[in-house]
Amino acid sequence: MRASVHQVTQTFSTIFKGMMMTLKIAMQPKCTLEYPDVKKSLPERTRGRLFNVIEDCIGCLLCAKACPTDCIRIDIVKREKDEPTPRTSVESGEKPIRFWIPQFDIDFNLCCWCGLCTDPCPTHCLTMTKEYEFSAFKKEDLVYHFAKDSYPIQKKTPPPTN
Amino acid sequence: MDTNQIHSRLEKKFGSAIIALEEVKADPYIEVSADKIFDICKYLHEDSELLFDSLVCLSGVHYLPTHKRANGVVVEKPLFEIVYHFFSYSHKHKLTMKAVVSLDDPKIQSVEKIWKGAQWLERETYDMFGIKFIGNSDLRRILCPDDWEGWPLKKDYVTQEMYKHMRVPM
Amino acid sequence: MSALKTEELIINMGPQHPSTHGVLRLEVTTDGEVISFVRTHIGYLHRCFEKHAENVDYMGVMPFVDRMDYVASMYNDFIYAMAVEKLMEIQVPERAQYIRVIMGELQRIASHLLAVGTYGLDVGTFTPFMWCFRDREKILDIFEMVCGARLLYNYMYIGGVSKDLTIGMIEKIKEFCDYLGPKIDELDTVLTYNQIFIDRTANVGVIPLDTAVQYALTGPNLRGSGKKWDLRKDETYSIYDRFEFDVPVGTGVQGSVGDCWDRYWVRVQEMRESLKIIKQAVNSIPEGIFRADLPRVLKPPVGEVYVRGEAPRGELGFYIISDGSPKPFRVKGRSPCFSAVSVLSEIIPGNPMADAVAILGSIDIVLGEVDR
Repeated sequence: MRASVHQVTQTFSTIFKGMMMTLKIAMQPKCTLEYPDVKKSLPERTRGRLFNVIEDCIGCLLCAKACPTDCIRIDIVKREKDEPTPRTSVESGEKPIRFWIPQFDIDFNLCCWCGLCTDPCPTHCLTMTKEYEFSAFKKEDLVYHFAKDSYPIQKKTPPPTN
Repeated sequence: MDTNQIHSRLEKKFGSAIIALEEVKADPYIEVSADKIFDICKYLHEDSELLFDSLVCLSGVHYLPTHKRANGVVVEKPLFEIVYHFFSYSHKHKLTMKAVVSLDDPKIQSVEKIWKGAQWLERETYDMFGIKFIGNSDLRRILCPDDWEGWPLKKDYVTQEMYKHMRVPM
Repeated sequence: MSALKTEELIINMGPQHPSTHGVLRLEVTTDGEVISFVRTHIGYLHRCFEKHAENVDYMGVMPFVDRMDYVASMYNDFIYAMAVEKLMEIQVPERAQYIRVIMGELQRIASHLLAVGTYGLDVGTFTPFMWCFRDREKILDIFEMVCGARLLYNYMYIGGVSKDLTIGMIEKIKEFCDYLGPKIDELDTVLTYNQIFIDRTANVGVIPLDTAVQYALTGPNLRGSGKKWDLRKDETYSIYDRFEFDVPVGTGVQGSVGDCWDRYWVRVQEMRESLKIIKQAVNSIPEGIFRADLPRVLKPPVGEVYVRGEAPRGELGFYIISDGSPKPFRVKGRSPCFSAVSVLSEIIPGNPMADAVAILGSIDIVLGEVDR
């Protein structure tokens, strides 16, 4: 008898305490951000969409080797000895660019946003921006082409497009 | 007890069924004969000095010719290795044990009657490699669909092209 | 009354279900309301990362390992990095060790908040779920500040961590520690000692200790059944031996030892202990480098290693075989949730349907880790 009275008081008191706590929290200001009207400001190190400053790329292929899903496709053609060797920008150390880079594609269908490609880049031309809203309707639209060079004549045939 | 002491204790009891103690980098292991695996495991579970009450992990490995095993030996014929990791909560020691099975007849006794958790681990090894565990009460595929063809984790595995009229992505 | 023709009914608690914490299929045979037999089907999230790992180099396996237990991703990174470091005998710098412990314990709190919140949701209350997720958001904000991602971090590199902690980040972590203590007390008031919750979970799904050891259960599931075993204290790794913390063990105070309430209570207490560890680590973090100087292409010696650690869901282990080349020969992830799901077919029969949901929530599984 005593045990059941104790149980009944226990039930009511714990439920009452829980409800009072809920009421107290309900009176506090809201903490929900109503996206897409309000967008959160992202920190500096955010790992969003990749961007490559192609003028600073020296064609070392380290990013393509580091990628675990093989989403970076690069094609390089060696410059002849008598051709002038351009250099990268001052901030990246003015390194000589010994290759033509006719193809530098990043396939965002496959990218897993790990950031392993940005680590080994010697000129820091491949960085991650804060963009995360870039969905597309077709898979081909998610393959980003960064290259600016075209194939040098009589050097190499371009790879098949697929 | 460390691996050397466990090895000498096992050798006294089982003699030639204990093939070798390999002192490889990072974790030494004991290689045993696959025919006596159930008796050895029962002894490991029940002996008062050993008392391995927990089977931590059971995995399979596939080697093709020219692959190098962990002890540095280059393999000549393809073979399967089944690796057992044991741990004892009472004596706080652990053991790694391996058994080698050839590809012509990939069968080994199941240790489900000793550690019940071995049932699912053996099912997973069967699913990935095709090694049959005799005595397992429910040996069927666990991670792949029941009608999948092939053993995925083998080194010479080629994915099937179609599965139930759907193309399997490469 | 004439003899009623009765037969058992097979119900599919199918892969798409709000209470199965992922894609898990339970084929349940019921006799009225009481379950008589359960057959578990897994494999709906199987991605075979062990096969992918053989085609990429050691650092490239890190994103795959993240995606095993995607709710507690930092810890997967931690233990995999420790496994490769043991194989290659790399010394991790002091500052990196402290950062790893802080991030690991923050991840443990975030993972337990999710476990506790979704367990409340399974049992029927919506409010603690919202509160736990509000607190978890604060931890995810800290992670985003430190490494750039909210769920799949790829933060612990082999030899250290990928980016350093600044003073601002350490201040934010200290603020968070002061914020969370009272919130766990609020959670206690609303959920842990609530009589309805106790009636729902006490004496339900009792896992006796010898069953737990036979099925190789670890982590809060084993501690809830009464065994005081925590790899951070008993087989200490990294720098956990420098911190003072307790290991909560289920005592059966509300029902029996090893019931659902005990496992839930162990998780809530572990959050408090993790807070203690973070406060001590943040106050004593040394200066220094955050990453060891390693060659770009990692080539471990020929050999093998098995390393295990205390992940939030139990003992997570990695077994790596190396043949001297830059790509691993075999990587196997020993996941604690795989063993936890295997015990269900022994524990659930004999209980009504509603208790099956309560038991499933209390063992805290994440299907990414079960299926790998």
